[in-house]
Amino acid sequence: MGNLLQPSDGAIRLADAALRSGGGRTVLLRLAAPALPNDDAEQLGLATPAFQDVALGPAAFHKADSVTKLLVSASAVHELLGTLGYDSADVLFETAVGLFIDGLLYKITNSFSSQAMGRPYTYWLTLEPPTR
Amino acid sequence: MQNAKDTFYEVLRGRLAVLNPERTIVLRGVVRPGVLVEENELLTAVALPDCFRLRWSTSAADANGILPTIAMQCFADYETAGTAINGGMDRGRALAAMDAELQAAVDPLPRTSPKMDYAPLANGKAATPMTTSVWWSEVAFGETVIKDDRLARTATINVMSYQEAGEL
Repeated sequence: MGNLLQPSDGAIRLADAALRSGGGRTVLLRLAAPALPNDDAEQLGLATPAFQDVALGPAAFHKADSVTKLLVSASAVHELLGTLGYDSADVLFETAVGLFIDGLLYKITNSFSSQAMGRPYTYWLTLEPPTR
Repeated sequence: MQNAKDTFYEVLRGRLAVLNPERTIVLRGVVRPGVLVEENELLTAVALPDCFRLRWSTSAADANGILPTIAMQCFADYETAGTAINGGMDRGRALAAMDAELQAAVDPLPRTSPKMDYAPLANGKAATPMTTSVWWSEVAFGETVIKDDRLARTATINVMSYQEAGEL
């Protein structure tokens, strides 16, 4: 439930509504499980981490020129930050393995937010499709 | 070849951690010494600052001898934006500090270490010593590169070892 006294919550709700009405969908953010402390096997590439896919939505593709961007609801991102204990959305997207969409794993190469009154209401993710 | 790479990383990580225990990175939620091998980590578009990122390049084999000698180049990439509290105005000093740490970790004698087989770690067992050694050259520093608000450098170390029978 949003805080009605926060004017920027209106921007978040408006962005969510626009994303949903504009064909917004749910995508899967693929995250690597936390590393094991002092585990040489992982640091030497002998052991691979477990992965978890977490739902992120509503989100909508935005394609301009040759760049593929995904517009993601800030409310969904902030909910994930709280649940998974990440410091910021930047850290979340920088450490994510990628986005799993329709069977393809896209790499996140950049992220930035659109803000209203200093609070993000959507996140833009620049995606790189798999090469093969 | 792989055992030599693993052994060199372990030695370098240990020496760097002793020289400056404060140089750490947080990778996938775990704090560890500020050195990593890129090919052993998840692909990422982000170049972590203030740590040494090792990557392995050309290798050459010399079969003239009792055992073949393998020579590899290890590149250590590192970059820093200095400290935020100083507005990044200390980025030159921060890069110089990283130069000094790398040199102090690589150059002192002995520049050799017994080669270890770390493959048993995958099954929860201890690494086993092999019969030959890994040895390496002094570090050669590349030029300073300006990357937006960061100063970056690539240093090169030649790492050599004997290829033992049956070794990967």
